[in-house]
Amino acid sequence: MNLTDLKNKTPQEITDLLGAKDREMLVERFVSLGLPNKKSEAYRYFDVEKVLDKRYNALTYVPKTLKVSDKIEIVDGIVVAGPQGMRIYNEACQEIDMDHFDPMYYLGHLLCPQTIKIELDGDTEVEIEHRYTQSDVLINYRIVLYNQANRHATVYENFICEDISNTLVLYGYDMHLAQDSTLRVVKMQHMQHNHYTMIASHKVNVAKNAHAMLKSFDFGADKALQLLKVELDEYAHVDAGHLLYLNDDAKRGTVSQIVHVGEHSTSKQEAKNILDGEGTRGIFDALIRVEHSAKYTKAEQNSKAILLHDKAYMAAKPQLEIYIDELEASHGATTGQLDPKQLFYLQSRGISHVEARKMLVIAFANTLIEEVKDTRHQERIKTAFESVFYKAHQ
Amino acid sequence: MSSVMKIENLQAKIGDKQILKGLNLELEAGKVHAIMGPNGAGKSTLSKALVGHYDIEVLDGDITYKGKSIVEMEAEERALEGIFLSFQHPVEIPGVNNAYFLRTALNAKRKHEGKEELNAAEFLRLMKSHLEMLGMKSDMISRSLNEGFSGGEKKRNEILQMLILEPEVIILDEIDSGLDIDALRAVSEGINKMKDGKRTFLVITHYSRILDYIEPDYIHVLKDGKVIKTAGPELVPYLEEHGYDGIEEE
Ligand SMILES: Nc1ncnc2c1ncn2[C@@H]1O[C@H](COP(=O)(O)OP(=O)(O)O)[C@@H](O)[C@H]1O
Ligand SMILES: [Mg+2]
Repeated sequence: MNLTDLKNKTPQEITDLLGAKDREMLVERFVSLGLPNKKSEAYRYFDVEKVLDKRYNALTYVPKTLKVSDKIEIVDGIVVAGPQGMRIYNEACQEIDMDHFDPMYYLGHLLCPQTIKIELDGDTEVEIEHRYTQSDVLINYRIVLYNQANRHATVYENFICEDISNTLVLYGYDMHLAQDSTLRVVKMQHMQHNHYTMIASHKVNVAKNAHAMLKSFDFGADKALQLLKVELDEYAHVDAGHLLYLNDDAKRGTVSQIVHVGEHSTSKQEAKNILDGEGTRGIFDALIRVEHSAKYTKAEQNSKAILLHDKAYMAAKPQLEIYIDELEASHGATTGQLDPKQLFYLQSRGISHVEARKMLVIAFANTLIEEVKDTRHQERIKTAFESVFYKAHQ
Repeated sequence: MSSVMKIENLQAKIGDKQILKGLNLELEAGKVHAIMGPNGAGKSTLSKALVGHYDIEVLDGDITYKGKSIVEMEAEERALEGIFLSFQHPVEIPGVNNAYFLRTALNAKRKHEGKEELNAAEFLRLMKSHLEMLGMKSDMISRSLNEGFSGGEKKRNEILQMLILEPEVIILDEIDSGLDIDALRAVSEGINKMKDGKRTFLVITHYSRILDYIEPDYIHVLKDGKVIKTAGPELVPYLEEHGYDGIEEE
């Protein structure tokens, strides 16, 4: 099947094509949002038609018995290993958001009747490794992540791919943070040219008094879009940070909706974008919506971009949609270049142009990198960034 | 005399405005040259031209360093070859750690000279020894480069860089401006420590106070984009009394 076959179809036709009996609600949501095209706001700078028009081979998903490993390993969408004692299993998703803005969220669910369910029960730190090994395929999988009440967990997400090309990855989380829990998710993705394209569509539910910290570090070439919807209950908090370094003709970024539903909920979202290539397009299309019910909300949103190439383009669109008066909200977006005075100062001490640029770019990115408190992971992120940066400037 | 740097008929502009108008100056190796002149004369412009600042466009003339023209040389190359400018207004760089910056600069220079690079521990030892002498607090190691530094701290940090990089031609642009007496002493001590009879100093000032601490061998008066007079240190008291107005081009 081609994904473009899903264009302009009736719910019945979609149901037949996808074999999605008993999932009428999902089909209906997907049909009403429609397969993304170049006019879809969220996908405008992403060249989505080119991605969806390609023919990908389908994979068959055969669940595996888990091996014991110190990390959760997911290979081509199938979970193959996990830490001893951690509850990881395949199950149909129970709670699907019926008001998500992204059609690919619904398509993802329609294509994956079984999801990988991970229960974080305890104050844990776990690494999830996504590995892609096949060319010319559509890899689609979804993960349901439960963080139990009162628990404080950290998830490090990493992406590894073999020497593949022309693969499309559709994946995403449904995350549930129970009351009073804390979940930190640190995602690092480092893509090289032409390996795979990724569309990641997430939903994060943050229950009363729970805290979600979602940090993404995206470096390199290629195309990847993360679409993120976060819903905040009363006294819930989300702290989202997105660091983007693009080279070649990478088209990447974040489209998000943070929805304040409960009173006294707070959100902070910070995007830092470094665009280092003629064809690069950075995306930060972020809406904060404050519902009638969400009095005394605090919302803060900010995007900063540095263009290292004069043809690079940053599509930054921070937006507020507010239905009440009792709140504190701020948002802004800036785009600029590296400061020539600072560059010169470094060079006047014998530091090369490339090195001076790297130092300033890292300095710009540092506020986000240093929020990763674990020094080993912090170093890993810096090293990954440096390797991509030097590769682009050798 | 053995000259280390020679500036001949230097004409340079910033934006649309010509600032240096045929400037001639020869620096004798191992000596302390003071450049004095009124505000706006072009002193900082000269110092920037010597280190290859992007603001300055050289229209005519030449700058030679150790017999080679450096007008076309990149700023980092001039630094690696041993030219150092202590800026009148050092720029703040949030997010770049001071020690990391200095070690990167030193190791770039050592690499250029074919020497082994210093590791973090070796470098820290070196940096600490200088901090003490300059009366700088040890948090200068972990702070961001010049960020939130007071005027005095910034100038001490420039001198710290000079001590660590050990350049051959040292240009000090208004190093004494905004310094209290303790800072002035510390900074002068740092500068005097670098005097070894081989290093050459170009001390730029519009105010003679610094020259009580760093003894000059030559005084050059810069006015309206040219050096109009060169004399010995005996010119200082005369300038203090009469100002620059009475000086005629020689
Ligand atoms: N960036 C600049 N753009 C335009 N004019 C400048 C700039 N920097 C300096 N100038 C002008 O050049 C002249 C010389 O300045 P400067 O070299 O700083 O003088 P000094 O250091 O002797 O006080 C002044 O008239 C000043 O206004
Ligand atoms: Mg000046």
